[in-house]
Amino acid sequence: MKRYVAKRILTGLLTILIVFSINFIIINLAPGDPIKTLMGKETDDPALRAALEQKYGLDKPLHIQFVSYLKTAISGDLGTSIIYNRPVSEMISEKMPATILLVLTSGILSLIIGTLMGIVAARKEGSFIDVIFSGFSYILNSMPSFWLGLMLIIIFSSVLNLLPTCGMTDPRTSYKGIAYVMDVLKHMILPVGTLILIEIPLYYRIAKSSVLQVTNEDFILTLRATGMNEKKIFNKYIFRNAILPTVTIFGISLAYLITGVALIETVFAWPGTGRLVLTAINQRDYPTLMGIYLVMSVSVAIVMMLVDILYAVLDPRIRY
Amino acid sequence: MIKTIVNDKQLLFGILGIIALLIIVAFAPNIAPENPYVFGPDVLNKIGENGHILGTNKMGQDIFSMIIYGTRTSLQVAVISALISGLLGILIGGIAGFFGGTADRIVSEIINIFMMLPTFFLILLIIALFGNSIYNVMIVIGLTTWPSNAKLMRAQALSLRERTFVKAATAMGETKGQILFKYIIPNGIFPVIANTTVGMSNAILTEAGLSFLGLGDPNIISWGQMIYDGKSFLTSAWWIATFAGVAIVITVTIFYLLGDGLNHVMNPKHSKGKGV
Repeated sequence: MKRYVAKRILTGLLTILIVFSINFIIINLAPGDPIKTLMGKETDDPALRAALEQKYGLDKPLHIQFVSYLKTAISGDLGTSIIYNRPVSEMISEKMPATILLVLTSGILSLIIGTLMGIVAARKEGSFIDVIFSGFSYILNSMPSFWLGLMLIIIFSSVLNLLPTCGMTDPRTSYKGIAYVMDVLKHMILPVGTLILIEIPLYYRIAKSSVLQVTNEDFILTLRATGMNEKKIFNKYIFRNAILPTVTIFGISLAYLITGVALIETVFAWPGTGRLVLTAINQRDYPTLMGIYLVMSVSVAIVMMLVDILYAVLDPRIRY
Repeated sequence: MIKTIVNDKQLLFGILGIIALLIIVAFAPNIAPENPYVFGPDVLNKIGENGHILGTNKMGQDIFSMIIYGTRTSLQVAVISALISGLLGILIGGIAGFFGGTADRIVSEIINIFMMLPTFFLILLIIALFGNSIYNVMIVIGLTTWPSNAKLMRAQALSLRERTFVKAATAMGETKGQILFKYIIPNGIFPVIANTTVGMSNAILTEAGLSFLGLGDPNIISWGQMIYDGKSFLTSAWWIATFAGVAIVITVTIFYLLGDGLNHVMNPKHSKGKGV
């Protein structure tokens, strides 16, 4: 167990190192010369260039640049936004809570709904419900999330006029306390709903197939032969065994959500990191974009690492 | 052969769908009533108005014709990126699984690490920095999605290299390279092909997502771009975004059906499964 956890943490750290390297390579390969930008297009003074290169450490060999890049990035300095002239890390941490709110809410709700649907479909395999659920999940799986969001806006906001289309709060009011929470909840329904619908197929597939698989195992047949109550077999044996893969899927889904939420935040003008991505793209604010990529990749790597360790704790059979 | 296809509903619909898509791609100028690259006088026409089956957008382009031409873009992205990712995956996975040892350990660790990286964001970053031509999009999708193919190919190569016919070939004095390309890859390629079909769906969705964030190629017509344009007209001209999305859903579903169908047919383990 300890060895597995140590190995998993090592892989996680390696992943994070690779993320930093990819970022570094992309910065170096990207078109454009930072010194030229700093000097201005018309100036071409070799002395000034040398001075600037020395000031920013660009005259040193690449591997030394990489080490100093790693040092600053790990200390939390992700550079400065060239548009807002503010530290990127500050801008990201400011927008993070709104994104985490969306990701966790929809992640947990889709886990519950998708898994329940999968279990129901597996228990009544071939029934009408199974066919409906499977078809539903098939179609949802092929939907672009942002388009689904737009369609929900058309239905629930334009036609039915029920829910707000964008933002996190109503800008015309300044609620406090409970009213504020209710306002945020109301604004959350559509974005969270979209994310849940997009995530359902993941859980549905895995829950259904693992329940089916466990049901067909020999020990279940034995339990049935002993005359054990069907409900007890399900609750005590099938469910416990079949629920395990869902844990892994939860990690994958959170990882997907962390990055995929950018599209949904764009659709609903949700004030999270995804919006930051969009503005950074439109304004060519590369430091911000790279900073967000770093933060997201590192969080994904950490989430995946934790999930794998959790899985190993839950299922003693998993050892590499 | 035909019986297998007809018996597997998913494969049947997948193949029929692909044929339909290919016909649309080949005969786009004949099917589309108008040239979608031409800005017409009918601006923001409703469905059916002035003979525009699905209406027009703010530039007076016919939505139905745009969707027909958009099929070309989507399929091009799907096929080329899947080819790149499939070839890379087969080579890397095949070499790792066949040669084994240290090479395998390093490659599988790299595969595991790459599978943990958020691909969509990496693609987004590269496209934002290096320019948003459709060729960049295709190449970058291909270069970032190979790990799942490599993983499958590696597993195949691992089991195939222990088989008697491979051992016989070694005994006959064939070189490692010959064995890899003549026996291992041709025999282990089927799961990769099925996976590549799913990869095509993801490529279409990725391209659409990039276009929606404003990173699409402005010189071509793509469904994602149409949704991006239609977003500003959601309340006044809902048809712009809606039908482009429907086209994406249909196309991606076809590729998923094909992928699942191929999986059932080529993987004997699945032959009794009904598919989830």
